[in-house]
Amino acid sequence: MAATKTAKEQKYDRQLRLWGDHGQEELENAHVCLINSTASGTEILKNLVLPGIGAFTIVDGHKVSGEDVGNNFFLSNNSIGRNRAQAATELLQELNTDVSGNFVEESPDKLLDNDPEFFHRFTLVIGVQLPESTCLRLGSVLWNANVPFLVCRTYGLVGYMRLVVKEHTVIESHPDNALEDLRLDQPFAELKSHIQSYDLEGMGKKDHGHTPWIIIVAKYLEKWFSEHNFQLPKNYKEKEAFKQLIRQGILKNEKGTPEVEENFEEAIKNVNTALNPTKISNGVDDLFNGEQCNDITSQTPAFWVMTRAVREFVQNDGGGNLPVRGSIPDMIADSEKFINLQNVYREKAMQDASVVSKHVESLLQSVGKPSESISEQDIKLFCKNAAFLRVVRCRSLAEEYSVETVNKDAITCSMDGADGEMVLYLMLRSVDRFYQQHSRYPGVYNYQVEEDISKLKLCVNSLLQEYGLNVSVKDDYIHEFCRYGAAEPHTVASFLGGSAAQEAIKLITRQFVPFNNTFVYNAMSQTTATFQL
Amino acid sequence: ALISKGPPYRKLADSLSACRVLVVGAGGIGCELLKNLVLTGFKNIEVIDLDTIDVSNLNRQFLFQKKHVGKSKAQVAKESVLQFCPTANITAYHDSIMNPEYNVEFFRNFMLVMNALDNRAARNHVNRMCLAADIPLIESGTAGYLGQVTVIKKGLTECYECQPKPTQKTFPGCTIRNTPSEPIHCIVWAKYLFNQLFGEEDADQEVSPDTADPELTWNPADTEARATASDQDGDIKRVSTKDWARSTGYDTVKLFNKLFKDDIQYLLTMDKLWKKRKAPLPLDWLEIQKLACPQEVTGTGLKDQQVLGVAGYSQLFSRSVETLRSMLADKGDGAELVWDKDDPPAMDFVTAAANLRMHIFSMNMKSRFDIKSMAGNIIPAIATTNAVIAGLIVLEALKILSGDVEQCRTIFLNKQPNPRKKLLVPCALDPPSANCYVCASKPEVTVKLNVHKTLVLALQDKILKEKFGMVAPDVQIEDGKGTILISSEEGETEANNSKFLSDFGIRHGSRLQVDDFLQDYTLLVNVIHCEDLEKDVEFEVVGDAPDKAPTPPSAQEDKNVANGNKDSAEPSTSSKGDYQTQSFEVSCFVTAVGAIISRSQPPFGPNR
Repeated sequence: MAATKTAKEQKYDRQLRLWGDHGQEELENAHVCLINSTASGTEILKNLVLPGIGAFTIVDGHKVSGEDVGNNFFLSNNSIGRNRAQAATELLQELNTDVSGNFVEESPDKLLDNDPEFFHRFTLVIGVQLPESTCLRLGSVLWNANVPFLVCRTYGLVGYMRLVVKEHTVIESHPDNALEDLRLDQPFAELKSHIQSYDLEGMGKKDHGHTPWIIIVAKYLEKWFSEHNFQLPKNYKEKEAFKQLIRQGILKNEKGTPEVEENFEEAIKNVNTALNPTKISNGVDDLFNGEQCNDITSQTPAFWVMTRAVREFVQNDGGGNLPVRGSIPDMIADSEKFINLQNVYREKAMQDASVVSKHVESLLQSVGKPSESISEQDIKLFCKNAAFLRVVRCRSLAEEYSVETVNKDAITCSMDGADGEMVLYLMLRSVDRFYQQHSRYPGVYNYQVEEDISKLKLCVNSLLQEYGLNVSVKDDYIHEFCRYGAAEPHTVASFLGGSAAQEAIKLITRQFVPFNNTFVYNAMSQTTATFQL
Repeated sequence: ALISKGPPYRKLADSLSACRVLVVGAGGIGCELLKNLVLTGFKNIEVIDLDTIDVSNLNRQFLFQKKHVGKSKAQVAKESVLQFCPTANITAYHDSIMNPEYNVEFFRNFMLVMNALDNRAARNHVNRMCLAADIPLIESGTAGYLGQVTVIKKGLTECYECQPKPTQKTFPGCTIRNTPSEPIHCIVWAKYLFNQLFGEEDADQEVSPDTADPELTWNPADTEARATASDQDGDIKRVSTKDWARSTGYDTVKLFNKLFKDDIQYLLTMDKLWKKRKAPLPLDWLEIQKLACPQEVTGTGLKDQQVLGVAGYSQLFSRSVETLRSMLADKGDGAELVWDKDDPPAMDFVTAAANLRMHIFSMNMKSRFDIKSMAGNIIPAIATTNAVIAGLIVLEALKILSGDVEQCRTIFLNKQPNPRKKLLVPCALDPPSANCYVCASKPEVTVKLNVHKTLVLALQDKILKEKFGMVAPDVQIEDGKGTILISSEEGETEANNSKFLSDFGIRHGSRLQVDDFLQDYTLLVNVIHCEDLEKDVEFEVVGDAPDKAPTPPSAQEDKNVANGNKDSAEPSTSSKGDYQTQSFEVSCFVTAVGAIISRSQPPFGPNR
């Protein structure tokens, strides 16, 4: 067992550095369903098999064609005529023996007719190159079953993704440039007494130069408070004055020139961020006020039970603040001083987490669930990330497609430039309309390109009309989409495969924040955009 | 405008089969790229990579499987692609692209060169070769979720070296040997120690206390005291560290006490060093074993991510020395071990030695996982980013081959859609920089150095090769006589190596003409004599040369982009020969254009 663990650590070393071993565990527990193993489909799956998802199931009723072999790396000449799901599963499986590969030789429509519950079992369903009708049917089944659905499409030199998930909660959102949680403006009792244990004036030179900057800032803040009516230095001028106050504290030698004290320099450098007042962000506050947080039932997911518990903590125990995060940055200090300070924060964080844990326990009890259903470790992780909680709520496909609920504003606003990515979205919707009417995509056969142009134009116009969209689509785009002939160029599929798998990993690991909800890639100009449709 | 041009995809498909392309590197990007090329219709592909396959490649380099570990990347990549696409004509070279066989003529065989590299030296070189052969080059790199693609065409765009790049961080020898203040100093020390004990000894990688520390004003009165304190040490230094270690039979207790007790006690006698610093605390093997309240573990999760206590690391030190000793013995007389981050005993040794030294110098110890990423310059790497970047490369390739270089872009891949909702940020290609010391019509640089203290060998190795990226420079002094200072022909000017520049009449204002025949590159070097260069600085490039990189907008961004995908091809920066340039930022593409990246990030760029 130990040996396999190390082997895995070695194999996955480069990615563990991004999402950690708990992220890896989520991956290994995931079962992903891919519908249609076209080039885009296998590219996506390849990028999920390599990092080691637990299992995949390919649903595909098609037989492998010569065209498939031409753009799909995971289908070979001798698989022509065989079922595409099976052929692709065999080759994808070879990439990673840790992954269990399965296939169903059936079209998604048939499965939806006979056994719609089939799709409920998956962590995530990825639908590739689906006709609009199938997409909408499947979308509604998955929406009702709370299974995330990622729609992916490569159409000529256009890539498209649509995420359909009712609610996706993220504990570890990994924000860039997050501020430290130091509580210097409102130090908790243990921190206060730890700060008091330092006497900057009375200590020797060596200790003075090895006092952590957090203590230095805290000390001078006490001084500042007493002179400024307990108000933090707020504007630039006050912060400069505060820095000057610290600078004066640097020891001087016999001649009166200041010594080099790096810890003081570090304190001065950190003044700007360290003095940010401790407060709860609007985003987290919104979560506290959401209905999921108010009505806890036995069905409530752990995320919301913990959010509620943290809310109770804020209101009853934390004096209006979140649990202490418990980490401090690396800094100039000797080991002993640093570790002591670190322990003050760490112990407070553990205390806070155990108070939250009590709230979790009584909430669970109140709905008749055992307290073990949420682990201590999960609660600790949650408290540590309480300031960065994120919830992504996408609109359903039904909402996007219904004339009543279509997001007209988003479409018209983004059509300002006429050459943006929104026009590509409208074109994709138009070729879908073409498919509904003609049971094929425009320009698939070269001899039809010319006549298809006018047919597609009709589709564009009827789409715009139906939705009451007062925008115009240049003829260039209609020509272009006819020329594409619904081709799936490999290199565009490769791009989409990378992007879609990345979103899938975000969804599965519940780390980082997935896009909401539509993503369009223009391979000619190498540009992308996201829209909320 | 783009749209009316139509997709190059179909139009080009037929002509692609006749087109010969070179892929430099068969790692993370290289594997994806080879697949994309054959499936886009390229038939004649040559691929070169000198690396072999490692287990940690398997999470993304999908052309390789467990059974291929240890084999040539280029060769296996070729075979795997042929299995799927038997009609492709692929030539694989298990070799360094910097090898002189791959001359300008070789590069002229191709319509297009695509780099999928992980280090700056090779990127510089390929850049010059493509300029010399006038072949378009697509450059790319990834680091974690970030990536970048750009196009280089002689005379039309910036070359790879037009933009100043942040220089690699190096540490002064005395910081490593006497006064480490950051964990990285201890990690570098531990890697030096590995080589001193088990690997190739290198005079630039001394680990014992440095009595020539410029911070010490030598007081003869102290000498005696020091000599007594270092009685044992004095002996050791006369023989090499390795010979001494061997003479003790790699006795772990003796080694431990020398490195972590005696040497530290010796350092303590240099009391000037500790007036303002916290003095180190020597460790004694026996004392620690007595302590032996084993496993004061902090941190949770995998074993690798835990921090053991001093006792734990002293045990690990002893165990790893034992293992390495027997590995060395198994290899026979005169053998050497090469440090490799993916070799468990070598990594254990560095983890233990670095942590013990960190403890001695009052730093917080680090987990094996963290030390590995610092010691091995590990950059996170995943399949998804490489797939995206390789997709972009081929699209740029299609534009170039259809004669649309003007439509090419430098494309940045963000971690997530930026505030303007863009995941990709394409930027127009910049024209060549007029004073680029590589692609300008008559490249010229000015170097500040002390002509009385700079050896000819240092000019060759540190300035011309390391700084200016040449492979085999010839140097002629413009003194009217055309004196040859350095010749790339073996044996011709070796005698000059140990002489100073001033011995050849080089002085303030001298001009040197430097040629690299392989790169077809001539550089004129103006010498400025300077007596007061900063401590540990041997030379400085004046003006628009690489040192003057603009300060990145924020430390965070710098950290994010100042890395490269250590994925492939060229001399692995984690093996021997790289220690002087020990750094977090390996030479790499993303680092190299870090300046460009930071320029185009908000609020600096119009495009994001």
